[in-house]
Amino acid sequence: MQPAIFAAGIGKSFRTGFFGPRKQVLQEVDLEVGPGSIFGILGPNGAGKTTFISILATLLRPDAGQARVLGLDVVKDADRLRERVNLAASGAHFLWCLTVEENLKFYGRLYGLGGKALATKVGELLDLFELQPHRRVTFERLSTGLKQRLALAKALINTPELLFLDEPTTGLDPEMAQHIRGEIQRLNRDAGLTILLTTHNMREAESLCGEVAFLKEGRLVARGTMPELQERLGLGDRLSLFFKDGPAPLDYGRLPGVLTYKAENNRVDLMVDRAEKRLAAILEEVSQTQSKVIQVQLKEVDLAEIYHEITH
Amino acid sequence: MRLPTDFYKILAFATRSALVNRRNVFAIFEMLFWPGVAIFSVGLLTRFLKLDPETVTFILIGAVSMNTIQIAQLDLSYALLYSVWAKSLKHEFMAPIKLAHILVGAGTVGLIRGFVVFVIMGFLSMWLFDMDLARPGVQGLLIFLTGMFLNAAIIGALVLALVLRFGQRAEVAAWAFSYLMLLLCGLYYPVSILPLGIRELAQIIPLTYFLEYFRHFYGFPLMSSHPLLYGFSQSVVYLGLCYALVQYTLKSALQRGTLLRLSE
Repeated sequence: MQPAIFAAGIGKSFRTGFFGPRKQVLQEVDLEVGPGSIFGILGPNGAGKTTFISILATLLRPDAGQARVLGLDVVKDADRLRERVNLAASGAHFLWCLTVEENLKFYGRLYGLGGKALATKVGELLDLFELQPHRRVTFERLSTGLKQRLALAKALINTPELLFLDEPTTGLDPEMAQHIRGEIQRLNRDAGLTILLTTHNMREAESLCGEVAFLKEGRLVARGTMPELQERLGLGDRLSLFFKDGPAPLDYGRLPGVLTYKAENNRVDLMVDRAEKRLAAILEEVSQTQSKVIQVQLKEVDLAEIYHEITH
Repeated sequence: MRLPTDFYKILAFATRSALVNRRNVFAIFEMLFWPGVAIFSVGLLTRFLKLDPETVTFILIGAVSMNTIQIAQLDLSYALLYSVWAKSLKHEFMAPIKLAHILVGAGTVGLIRGFVVFVIMGFLSMWLFDMDLARPGVQGLLIFLTGMFLNAAIIGALVLALVLRFGQRAEVAAWAFSYLMLLLCGLYYPVSILPLGIRELAQIIPLTYFLEYFRHFYGFPLMSSHPLLYGFSQSVVYLGLCYALVQYTLKSALQRGTLLRLSE
């Protein structure tokens, strides 16, 4: 099956200042993403995520390498490709004095929609993102969450086959971020949309993406599913159990989800694949030994930790 | 171009320009207040100087042309500046559009606004200062209007190229270009009084010829034997060059990452 995204040897550099030296932003990036999946590009700020996604979205031309999206070359077939993909980014920006509906109509027309087809599509999107009550509100008067919903609605105006999402939940409150994640999952599930998203939120990547890749200083340093990466690196959430009278007599290594452990004095430090999933079962096993746990500490594995492991 | 998708893409930019103008108080000022002030101040100055009717007409033609071109080019110049101000440039170019859609869409609104300004100023000139605007006839008026709109399109396209290259910093160019061009083409004075060197520059500005053509109906001599030939041929060449320049700057913007930088 033809990959939805194929990139080989992508390189990009920018000149700093008018006569300044060139700064290499992407180097030899290879990537293949299957159709119908949600793929995450992870990495800290400045890793080259936006540059990479912009090249695939035809907004930037690579200096080196070749990229094909939906079988089309991102440089040579840019016009044809633009009809079949779309983009939503963090910090939604649209013309301030146009209403939600007018902004959607403007972008719909840019994709060649008009008349009844445009009205129907705009109506559908207003319903889908619960923007109907705000359709006559100008963009500048919308809350951050509504702006982001409009950005997602705009990204679906041409019924794309592939969607680029550049940090889609950055700057949103947790509730709205969760709502947007739900929408992304639904779009992938119901419409079979291929989604490439960049994020520096590990939990977001974990909950949304079937597979992720890490970018560091413009290089793709690792890729795989989250469990694969965690297992490969022996990483997981850190769970510390503090006992009243010495650790419970258990073979901690055989407990479900435990990757590594260390017992010391009255404390046992466990590394588990998903603490929130395993905690109850572990405490149940411990309680059967009659040992008394006086304190539980939990530290979830974060991007920085995995990133550190991958890059050092 | 494929219809009707191309038509809707053009309509997108035309509708956006029209909506922004409708909601912008300053746009009303651009179309009514400044042109009105220009006609009053210039007209009253000619009265104070006790100029003969032909000279008054000469100067009023200059004032009408200046404001008509200024307004007509603004919508084109602002077509991308709106996106730069809104930081939405990347979303516009993410869509399968061509430069022609922007130029024709925004340019049409500019043309309509320019025409309205021309009518308002023409009416004020006739009513307040007895200018005989109808003397060149319908054909003369249409040719003059076409010439002015071609010049406005040239300025607008140049500004578009500058916006794609320099972003918001090019904003000032939207006004500066037209003032510079109008200064050189003999707006309020015959080109013959320009200093040597500058006079040659005036010869390569198409508006010089369109002004000369229109004024000859009021008894002012033609400086060139075929003003319309020079005016139209220069306009076509410059428009072609400007279009190529905008295309080049867009290609360069895709290479340099300007579209992304202007959307942050």
